[in-house]
Amino acid sequence: MIQRGLTRRELVRRYGAAAAGVALLGPRALSSVASAQEATPVALPEIPAIPAALKGSGNVVVASWGGAVLDAQLKAYIEPFQEMTGITVTVADGPDPSKVKAMVDTGNVEWDVVQLGRGDVLALDGYWEEMDYSLFDTANLDAALMRPDSFAMVLFAEILAYRTDAFPNAPEGWKDFWDVEAFPGSRTMPAAAQLPFLEGAVIADGVPMDEVYPIDIDRAFASFDRIKPHVVKWWEAGAQPAQMLTDNEVPLAVAFNGRITPVKEAGAPVDIQWNEGLLAEDDWAIVKGAPNRENALKFCAFCTLPAPQARFSMLIPYGFVNSKAAELIPADQLARLPTAPELRPKLFLRDEQWWAENRESVIERWNEWILE
Amino acid sequence: MTVAAQVRTPEKIGGLGARVLFDRIEKRYGPVIAVDEVSLDIAPGEFVTLLGPSGSGKTTSLMMLAGFEIPTAGEIYVDDDPIAAVPPYRRNIGMVFQNYALFPHMTVGENIAFPLQMRKIGRSEIARQTRDVLELVGLPGYEGRYPKQLSGGQQQRIAVARALVFNPRVLLMDEPLGALDKQLREHLQLEIKALHDKLGVTIIYVTHDQEEALVMSDRIAVMNNGRIEQCGGPTDLYDEPETRFVATFIGESNFIDGVLARADGAIGYVEAPGLGSLRAPLKPGIAAGSPVALTVRPEKIIAHDNGASSHLNTVDGTVADVVFVGEMRRYVVALPGGQRLVLKAQNRSGVQSFNRGDAIRVGWSVDDCRLV
Amino acid sequence: MAALTHDLQGADREGQVARFQHLRRREQWRYVLLLLPAVVFLIAFYGYPVAAMLTRAFYDPVPGLQNFEPLVTARSTVEFLGLSIPMNAYIRVFWITLQIAAVVTIVSLLLGYPVAYALSSVSASRANLLMIFVLIPFWTSILVRSYAWMVLLGKEGIINEALLAAGLRTEPLVLLNTRLAVYLGMIHIMLPFMILPLYAVMRGIDRNLLRAAGNLGAPPSAVFRRIFLPLSLPGVAAGCLLVFILSLGFYITPALLGGQKDVMVSMLIQQQISLLKWGFGAALALVLLILALGIYALFTRVLGVERVFGSART
Ligand SMILES: Nc1ncnc2c1ncn2[C@@H]1O[C@H](COP(=O)(O)OP(=O)(O)OP(=O)(O)O)[C@@H](O)[C@H]1O
Ligand SMILES: [Mg+2]
Repeated sequence: MIQRGLTRRELVRRYGAAAAGVALLGPRALSSVASAQEATPVALPEIPAIPAALKGSGNVVVASWGGAVLDAQLKAYIEPFQEMTGITVTVADGPDPSKVKAMVDTGNVEWDVVQLGRGDVLALDGYWEEMDYSLFDTANLDAALMRPDSFAMVLFAEILAYRTDAFPNAPEGWKDFWDVEAFPGSRTMPAAAQLPFLEGAVIADGVPMDEVYPIDIDRAFASFDRIKPHVVKWWEAGAQPAQMLTDNEVPLAVAFNGRITPVKEAGAPVDIQWNEGLLAEDDWAIVKGAPNRENALKFCAFCTLPAPQARFSMLIPYGFVNSKAAELIPADQLARLPTAPELRPKLFLRDEQWWAENRESVIERWNEWILE
Repeated sequence: MTVAAQVRTPEKIGGLGARVLFDRIEKRYGPVIAVDEVSLDIAPGEFVTLLGPSGSGKTTSLMMLAGFEIPTAGEIYVDDDPIAAVPPYRRNIGMVFQNYALFPHMTVGENIAFPLQMRKIGRSEIARQTRDVLELVGLPGYEGRYPKQLSGGQQQRIAVARALVFNPRVLLMDEPLGALDKQLREHLQLEIKALHDKLGVTIIYVTHDQEEALVMSDRIAVMNNGRIEQCGGPTDLYDEPETRFVATFIGESNFIDGVLARADGAIGYVEAPGLGSLRAPLKPGIAAGSPVALTVRPEKIIAHDNGASSHLNTVDGTVADVVFVGEMRRYVVALPGGQRLVLKAQNRSGVQSFNRGDAIRVGWSVDDCRLV
Repeated sequence: MAALTHDLQGADREGQVARFQHLRRREQWRYVLLLLPAVVFLIAFYGYPVAAMLTRAFYDPVPGLQNFEPLVTARSTVEFLGLSIPMNAYIRVFWITLQIAAVVTIVSLLLGYPVAYALSSVSASRANLLMIFVLIPFWTSILVRSYAWMVLLGKEGIINEALLAAGLRTEPLVLLNTRLAVYLGMIHIMLPFMILPLYAVMRGIDRNLLRAAGNLGAPPSAVFRRIFLPLSLPGVAAGCLLVFILSLGFYITPALLGGQKDVMVSMLIQQQISLLKWGFGAALALVLLILALGIYALFTRVLGVERVFGSART
């Protein structure tokens, strides 16, 4: 459900959440999503007593993406938050950077907290309240995620997904993904709207995972040149790669982990190679001039507590940001999360700052390149 | 041909026209009988009008002759050849449609050239014939205009020109003047008549305007409910209507309802309530004792004051209404039995005039009335 | 003296003409009043937002024409008919968009014309019934229909399965993620837009004209060629225009069914919006709009739509 850019939001706006989530996924995947959610054990970890500092009164307006993410957020954060803090939450739909811009520009701020990709937060520099981490459970948070103007709410991974019936040995990483002799067949990779996967391209060319940034753009495109003839589709929507794997259109894909897990659990011969996966984040950001800034901070702080984080990751297979949450999640469920202790080291975090600086020129170049 | 024998022999026979014979033609649309056993023998060069109210089957009859409708029974002959198997485009029958059916995307010249092109006639010949036929209909030099740039009367003439240019031996005209104002209509009636005299083509003309039919036709076939009620020359139809419908449809008529009391040679005696015994020429097929109507035209009734009448049918009544219309007075006379008579008295010296409420004695010659 | 009278007459005449024109103008204003609610609605809820969006091309992020620069900056050159034409991705995408829209339009016309012809020749009640089949696709979302094509065209889709099962192929055909798939998906969506105006115009053609042509000696083929076809041209023009212009704005179908190079302008616009480069997105949209208007003008000029329209309704 979570992905970068506006693509999904655009679809939702035009065709309703069901269409964006369901139609792209197709009937097979749809039923699998439903069953995966129903199969989730109801026994969510209880949230222990919270610090008095988080309690309060009044209201806070939270703009969430809606759909399955919101369903999980309601159970994981919002309902317990209301109960335990005494602050009521109003959910607004369709967080959109342009709306934030309009609100702040016209001095008519209706939202307090907004869920956005880190890239969007960076793009709207100066439109956010400073994050005050004094209320947060900082001991268990990754300092890299504690941005001055937003805080990671969820982590998801862009990973290598493959069909288990296509090759004798599983592909081990991006080198294998690029190796069309050892791993013959078509590929699908994200298109520009999802950010071109330059990281995979340079890793395939020999750059170690932790030295990816700053990306050598020329090197990345040279690497792309080699794989380009084998990419049948540069996908725009997160559902597409899962669909194409399931339909056996391609044996190899770059995909979001949250899209692959459901089809895998529904029985499709599909698996995730976590090695060299790219970890990206969705953040909570507080809109500049938010009328309920205090409550918004309390809300963000509450969400990042171990138990709410664990509950969310158990409801939808996206990673938690509080490392203590791992202790609260049953092992079998932990194994499908990118932030599981065994998996997290295999992944690297997207450098949103680098992308904020280079996104425009990369995409311009990409547009030329794709039509060459 | 049995039918031919039943039909009156036409008085006038032209040179170029073809003979047309409808032999017990029937056309049904599902349960609707549009044309019901119509038999009609039209002599070469004759001008025959189908006259009848809306929906009486006039157009349908023409369409069957032109080949656009197929009779459900019967056969049509042109010059003794059955035409059922001939497709419309080989029938060589000219037709002027109810709304002219000029091709809107073609100029007048192109419209007129169309039938000639279909007959593979050379360019220069087409130009010459187009010029000639436009001359004939009085619109020389109109080749370059589009139909919508013409007045109704001009369009009508072009339609005639187009229908005549390929020298058909039969010309069908379906209410060609119906859309025009009275003055223009009367003018064009004479023109069409003159054309007919000049060309000698057989014309079957459709109208529901009885005056038009009377002015133009050699013979008139009065149609009602898909049947021909009576067919004959204008005078025959006016003076000797065979059915009540014909008497009403052509000209104005009075009807006095009664019972045929007895027959005496060629004279029948009609008993009408309150009026005593009235006489009329006997008509075969009406048995003594059966109900009957005596019909007499208003202008054939003469008014007296109370003096003795020299006429053979005399009745007394009261003037119920007087309308002065210039050349005559129109009286409505209430008769003792409750029936009414309309009579027209000429406005000249020697003809007595009456006022409303005056007692009046009216009479008419036995020869001037008919039994229907 | 004579000259004076003349002048007076002239002035009088002019006064009369002016009065007449004044009355005419008043008459026209009455019609404008009738249109007013629709116009106000369109301006408020369509014109204004669209204009507000498009004008961003000139001031977002800073005032000026810099948003149009990438469109005219040559990245490479292309040899065409001995000329070297400056090229960049954006021009290419516009070109691809025009190409796709043109093919979709032409094929929709070829497929839609016979259907509309058949519909217009049966009785109105039967045509209404059959029209349901034309309109059914309207009631299904574009996404669902695109997905249906994926099911049909996939490597393991219905068509390939059938071909393999029938032994006609040993390898599956590559149908999905190709230009062909884009054409199929778009034509499927566009056909009703072609058929409806064609049908409306064809229904309006006076059948007596066809009969008249037959009566004048034209066999059925000539009746079609000389009468029906020319009179149906307004429908052809309207249908082609509608399909072409709607096709220019397609987004979902090419994104789902297309291959690497089937990038259409709207995909590019969408990309720019998601990059928050609204100004450049607006510039692209503005160029697309101008292109569409230009093509509209060309259509009406070249095909003489108005003339044909006018005369078909004598
Ligand atoms: N295609 C058709 N289907 C069913 N009924 C029809 C059809 N064409 C004509 N009719 C019916 O046949 C009858 C005769 O129609 P026709 O057009 O011949 O009348 P008409 O005498 O020409 O009338 P008008 O003066 O109004 O032109 C009418 O009752 C009409 O409703
Ligand atoms: Mg008629």
